[in-house]
Amino acid sequence: MNFITFQKLSKPLQHITCNKGEQYCILLFNFSGHLIVDINHESATVFILGIYIGSDENEFRLNTIQHHKKGKNVSDLLIKGVFFDQSKFYYEGLIKIDKKAQQSNAYQKNQNILMSRNVFVDSRPYLEIEADDVACTHGSTTGKLSNDSIDFLNLRGLDENTAKKLLLTGFIEDIFNRINNLGWEMQAKKSKMECLKSLEIVLNEFSTRSV
Amino acid sequence: MKQTQQSPLNFDYKYGFSMPDTSIFRTQKGLSSNVVREISHIKKEPKWMLEFRLKSLNIFYQKKMPSWGADLSKINFDAITYYARPTDKQGTSWEDLPKEIRQTYDKIGVPEAEKKFLSGVSAQYDSEVVYESVQKELSKQGVLFCDMDSGLRLHPKIVKEYFGKLIPPHDNKFAALNSAVWSGGSFVYVPSGVEVKLPLQAYFRINSANFGQFERTLIIAEEGASVTYVEGCTAPIYTTDSLHSAVVEIYVHKNARVRYTTVQNWSNNVYNLVTKRARADEKAIMEWIDCNIGSKVTMKYPSVYLMGEGARGEVLSIAYASRMQHQDAGAKMLHLAPNTSSRIVSKSISNNGGRTSYRGLIMVHPSASNSKVFVSCDALLMDEKSRSDTYPTMKVKNQETEVQHEATVEKLGEEKLFYLSSRGISKGEGEGMLVNGFIEPVTREIPLEYSIELNRLMQLEMSGSVG
Repeated sequence: MNFITFQKLSKPLQHITCNKGEQYCILLFNFSGHLIVDINHESATVFILGIYIGSDENEFRLNTIQHHKKGKNVSDLLIKGVFFDQSKFYYEGLIKIDKKAQQSNAYQKNQNILMSRNVFVDSRPYLEIEADDVACTHGSTTGKLSNDSIDFLNLRGLDENTAKKLLLTGFIEDIFNRINNLGWEMQAKKSKMECLKSLEIVLNEFSTRSV
Repeated sequence: MKQTQQSPLNFDYKYGFSMPDTSIFRTQKGLSSNVVREISHIKKEPKWMLEFRLKSLNIFYQKKMPSWGADLSKINFDAITYYARPTDKQGTSWEDLPKEIRQTYDKIGVPEAEKKFLSGVSAQYDSEVVYESVQKELSKQGVLFCDMDSGLRLHPKIVKEYFGKLIPPHDNKFAALNSAVWSGGSFVYVPSGVEVKLPLQAYFRINSANFGQFERTLIIAEEGASVTYVEGCTAPIYTTDSLHSAVVEIYVHKNARVRYTTVQNWSNNVYNLVTKRARADEKAIMEWIDCNIGSKVTMKYPSVYLMGEGARGEVLSIAYASRMQHQDAGAKMLHLAPNTSSRIVSKSISNNGGRTSYRGLIMVHPSASNSKVFVSCDALLMDEKSRSDTYPTMKVKNQETEVQHEATVEKLGEEKLFYLSSRGISKGEGEGMLVNGFIEPVTREIPLEYSIELNRLMQLEMSGSVG
C-alpha cells in the first residue's frame, strides 16, 4: 500500500515499478515531467490521479506511461485540469499493454475546463495494445463550464462567481472523493487543503480581474 | 468511349488514356527529371504543369520520410516504374492470379465481367452503357466528370485555379511524389445549385484511370451544390505495383455538400500512402467515409479544413488489418471559423496478427468560437497476436468550445459468442455477425451494394476461408 504525491517541485522524471499484489495511489498536483509506471507482476493496482490548476503564464507538461508487462492488473488514470489566463497544458499519456499482459484493465481519462479565452490545451491520450483479452478505454474532454449548470445555480440565488467556485470545487474534489474511497483520506488531507486553497486564490484573483 | 473496343487484354483506361495506341511505352525504372519530362511530354501537358511537376520532384528529393507511423523503410523508390503506357500492362490472365484472390471473388459473388476487370484481366465491363447514359444526364446539368488528364486538357482554367492549392507539393514527401508523377484520377466540377442525385462512381468509369498508381483527384462543389463520390470497391484489386500514392483535393463552397466514400482493398503487397484534404466554406458539409481493408501498409488521414462559419466535417472510417497488414488511418479536423462542428467515428478490427492504428488531429483555432468536436474510436482485437493503437491529438486554443474524445479497445464478447453458439451458430459465423454489427454504424452510410459485399467479406475473413 503506497501513497505518493508529486508536486510542482518534484523531480521531473519519476519511475515507479509495481510488484506482485502491490497497490499504488499516485497523486499529481501541478507536476510537470514524466511519470512512468511499470507493472511487472500480476494483481497489482495503480491509481494515478492528477490535478492541474493553471493561471497567468503557467505551463505544465505531463507525460505518463502505464506499462502493463504482466496481466491481471488494473491501472486507472484520471487527470483533471482547470486553466485560467494564458496558462498552457500539454498532456501525453500512453497505455501500453504487452503481449503477455492478458486480462489487463487500463483506463485513462483527461478532463479540462477552460476558464479564459487565451488558454491552450494539448491532450494526447495514446493506446498501444498487443494483448486481446483486455479492457481499455480512454477519454478526453475539453470545454468550458456548462452554462446550464451556472444558470441553474443563478436561479437558486447564487451569483455567478459563487456558482463557478462551487462547480470547480466539485470538479476538483471528485479526485479526493476517489482517494477517500480507496482509504487514503488521512494521507491526502494535506494535498487536498493545498489544492483547494490554490483554486480559491486563483478564482479570487480571476473574479476581481473580470469585474 | 468507343476506343476500349480492343483486345480484352488491353488495360488502356488504367492510366487515363482512351486513345488506342499500340506502341509500347514505359519509363525507365526510378525517378529523374527526364522521367518527369517524358510523362508530361507524352500527355501533351501545358507548360505550367511540367514546371509544377519538376518543382515537385525537387521537393520530393528534399523532403525526409515521415519519422512516425508505419514502417516504410522497405520502399525502394528506384525500383518503381513511375509511368507505364497501359498497353504494356503485362497480360495478366485469369489463371495467373493468386488463388486466394480468385476464391475471394467467387465467395463475395462478384459478377464475372467485374471480376475480370478488377483483376486487370479485362478492360471491358458491362456498365459502360449505363455509364454513358449517366454521363449524358450529368452534362445536361453542367456537371463535369472525367478523368484528371482529360480534365486538364478540356478545362485547363478550372484545373489551374484549384490544382495543388489545397495540398501543395511541399505538404509531405508523398504529396510531392504524386505531384511530380501523377497520372489519372478523377475531375469533378459541380456548378452552383446543382444536386447530383446519383453517386458518381469511379468504379463504373472504366474508360479512364480509376485505380492508377499515382492518381490525382480534384472535386469542386460550387455554392449550394451537392455530390456523392464513390471510389474503389470491396473486392480485392490485384496489382503488381507496390506503391500507391494518391492525392485528393476537395473544395466545398458555401452551403455545398460533398460526400466522398472510399472502399479500399488493395492486394497485400501494396503500400497505400494517400493524402486527402477538403476545404469547407460557410455552412458547407464535407463527409469522408473511409473503409480500409486491403494493402500491406496504409497511411491515410482524410482531413477537413473548416474555413467558413458553420461548416461541418465528418469522418466515418473502418480499418481492418489481418496478417502482415498495418492500417495506420485516422482523421484530421481543423476548426478555423466560429460555429463549426465535426465528428469522427472510427472502427478498427485487428485479426490474425494484424495491426491497426488510429491517428488523429483535432485543432481548434482561437477564432473558432462555439465549435464542437466529437471523436469516438472503437477497436476490436480478435486474437492475442494482433495489436491496436490509438494516437489522438487534441489542440484546443479556444475557450468557447467542446471537445470530446473517447476510445475503447476490447475483444469480442465471450457471452455474446456463447449466446450465438447456443442458438446453433458456429463460432466463425458468430464472430462474423458480431464484427458486422460492430462496423454497422459506418457501413449503413455507404451504398447498399458495397455494404452487402463488405458484410460478406467480413463474414469470410472471420470464418477463415479467405487468405
